[in-house]
Amino acid sequence: MRNNTISTSAAMAIASMIAGASVVQAQDGKPVSGGAITWGVATEPSCFDPHQSSQQAAFFVARNYIDSLVGKRANGSFAPWLATEWSISPDGKEYTYKLREDVVFHDGEKFDAAAVKANYDYVKKPENAANAVALLQDFDRAEVVSPYVIKLILTRPDSSFLESTSNVKLGIISPKSLAKGDLCGGGAGLAGTGPFVFERYSRGQSAVFVRNKDYKWAPGYAAHSGPAYLDRVTFRFLPEAAVRAGALTSGQVDLIEGVQPTDVALFADQAEFKLLPGPSGASTSFTFNVNYTIPPADDVRVRRALRDGFDLEPLVKQIYLGTVPRAWSIIGPANPAYNKALVGAWGNDVAGANKLLDEAGWTGRDAEGFRTKNGARLKIDVGYPQPYVRDNREVLIQGIQAAVRKNIGFDLNLRIITAGEYAKNNAAGNWTIYPNTDNPSDPARELWDMLGSKGFLYSNIAHPDPEITGLIDESLRTTDSARKRELTDAIQKRGVDQGFIIPMFAPSWFLAAKSNVNGLGFEAGLDSPSSAYDFWLAK
Amino acid sequence: MWSRIISRLLTGVVVAWASVTAAFLALHALPGRIQDILAGDVEYPGLREAIAAEWGLDRSLPAQYLDFLLRIVQGDLGTSYVLRQPVTEVVGSQLMPTVQLALLGGVLAIAIAVALALLTAGRGRVSRQLASLLELVFASTPVFWLGILLLMAFSFTLRWFPVSGANGWKSIVLPSLTLALPTAGLLAQVLREAMEKTLDAPFVTTVRARGVGEFAIRARHVLRHALLPAVTLGGWLIGGLLGGAVITEKVFGRPGLGTVTLGAVLTHDVPVVLAVVLLAAFIHVAASTVLDILYLLIDPRLRAQ
Repeated sequence: MRNNTISTSAAMAIASMIAGASVVQAQDGKPVSGGAITWGVATEPSCFDPHQSSQQAAFFVARNYIDSLVGKRANGSFAPWLATEWSISPDGKEYTYKLREDVVFHDGEKFDAAAVKANYDYVKKPENAANAVALLQDFDRAEVVSPYVIKLILTRPDSSFLESTSNVKLGIISPKSLAKGDLCGGGAGLAGTGPFVFERYSRGQSAVFVRNKDYKWAPGYAAHSGPAYLDRVTFRFLPEAAVRAGALTSGQVDLIEGVQPTDVALFADQAEFKLLPGPSGASTSFTFNVNYTIPPADDVRVRRALRDGFDLEPLVKQIYLGTVPRAWSIIGPANPAYNKALVGAWGNDVAGANKLLDEAGWTGRDAEGFRTKNGARLKIDVGYPQPYVRDNREVLIQGIQAAVRKNIGFDLNLRIITAGEYAKNNAAGNWTIYPNTDNPSDPARELWDMLGSKGFLYSNIAHPDPEITGLIDESLRTTDSARKRELTDAIQKRGVDQGFIIPMFAPSWFLAAKSNVNGLGFEAGLDSPSSAYDFWLAK
Repeated sequence: MWSRIISRLLTGVVVAWASVTAAFLALHALPGRIQDILAGDVEYPGLREAIAAEWGLDRSLPAQYLDFLLRIVQGDLGTSYVLRQPVTEVVGSQLMPTVQLALLGGVLAIAIAVALALLTAGRGRVSRQLASLLELVFASTPVFWLGILLLMAFSFTLRWFPVSGANGWKSIVLPSLTLALPTAGLLAQVLREAMEKTLDAPFVTTVRARGVGEFAIRARHVLRHALLPAVTLGGWLIGGLLGGAVITEKVFGRPGLGTVTLGAVLTHDVPVVLAVVLLAAFIHVAASTVLDILYLLIDPRLRAQ
């Protein structure tokens, strides 16, 4: 009963908010300086060094002390930040950035072209095994043109490179900190140029940041300029969703992220609280990545039957109580590169799916009612690595599992596996279906990640589909933005049409806060909450 | 006397060696190469090789094992693959909060169990059944759920205690209670049954005949007899408290070894897992030594042997 009341009242509130999701800032009144907030977050960063971290859920913490050369706006364009202007050579291989001359690191060091070069050299150096090196696939070297002009030179054109230089993973750390090394533990030794200075990290408990009084180089998309409003921000690590919600309702923290659909009603339309849903699918959707080289999924009819053999919409609605939309494409709907033409183009055609399976020869039935062919059951494993299971996503997969069994006699077998088993299957190229939401980056880079011949899923597979990998390679090399758009549209279309990828829903972040916390927002480049730079407390 | 102490120490070393060796082999027998797991979803030519070289994973397994043993002997536990910090620092900084929590939880559990057993053993049916029911509920409630319930009542609604943090006594009340109650439930059941058996023993009648009061009989004579089977449960109790601490820490967002261990196991962070195993072996050896001494203190008959 309780669930019903939540789904009707809250879902409508959320649905109306999602409709207006292009407005990512919620502002009331005139901002004032001062005060401190405690922010209850789900994920404790295992490493605070952005070059080394791979935790998507922890990057918004890093945004408080790390700035980038350029900033990404919600519409996909780029704003000045540490670089005031930039230019790309006609051959797409040289990126020249003119840097601000008034930027100082938290440790007092001056920010200049040499500092940028030190960061790019650090990430590129193989011995450092930096996670961010994946963004520098085609990066060759950095050249200091003058003290405040840096040229980044590529070996071949990379249409995702400008976006990469906006990524927090390639944010700029003080060369002095870099030389010292061991930055994972955070603290004052990790000096960036961000609006907050890293004061202290207590493992398992909290990380504390204080205002950078000298800050005057906010990104072009920020709501204000000058230093941050808040004196102090404390991130409190509370991994349990119910505990985060309770900590906010009882006033022990001021702001939480990762609000569960079932907790939404606690904060929506409440005078003491505010609820802010982020853009849905600002990077990619949550998708089934189907390995189309492994039987029986090497038959396009089997993949299409799986894609169309169930009604996705009610499943998503039931599990997420209307807080997130079902997905139509690989790229999420709030991403400017979303291919809208895919809306309504597939799915929920049980009769058609059954017909495809009959044609493909899966005409037998076993004792449990599953389809068979030559005595073998129509079965595909979904290997979901345990560390990535969150957000009731396994429940959604179980729902699909039950639906395709009933509708089309398909045995979709969800297995929660270890990170090790996944790594082993991936290295052998014999994974079957991998549920995934990709880290935010340039759309061509994201598509390359999931479907490209050297992306993380297909790099160990001998003969991936030449058509889609060809389109992806071209989209990464083109210097023409209109052409790039055509290509990313075509990749999305082929991916879904061929059933290489089955989109499920467009995930969104939910923030809930006390009503006096203002200026909350989301950052497009992170696909997550923004830093606390624009936050302020009403007196 | 000395030979006993030396043999105990030697046994301890053998236990520690055997457990880290078993853990080392188990971690390496799990599916998946560590460099693949550490690279995660990042694909870059040469990245896996660089990671392997960074942590010495490119050498043969026996070479890695020997190197690991040599380092341990020198007191160096290595560097965490994932946290990229010295393991001694990581484990060291997280040890005290967990020890505090487990100790307080243990003391509370024992106090509650002894009080319940003393008050209800051999008394009226109603009070015994009520206590027994309570104990059964405690013993069978998952720590996770119990923690959330206590939080809802005493933190979110009544606001007497904070959710988390390792600051001040108030923040440890709910976690230690969460940890103590399931343990107390089981311990009280064992204690009461043992006490009731002892209450029927002929010597109790003799003591009563001497005119000793009921409470003194229970506290001084009967409880002492009943403690022996409870002490035998001591090893289980310590294991349960440490295991429960992992979940309790997660629910309350407390610092401690639990979160670190859980993360390390999930990500094949071999140096951290091995350090925790070593620590657990040490605690096991220390605890069983203390329990042996406790037997002697409780039961004079054992001292003569």
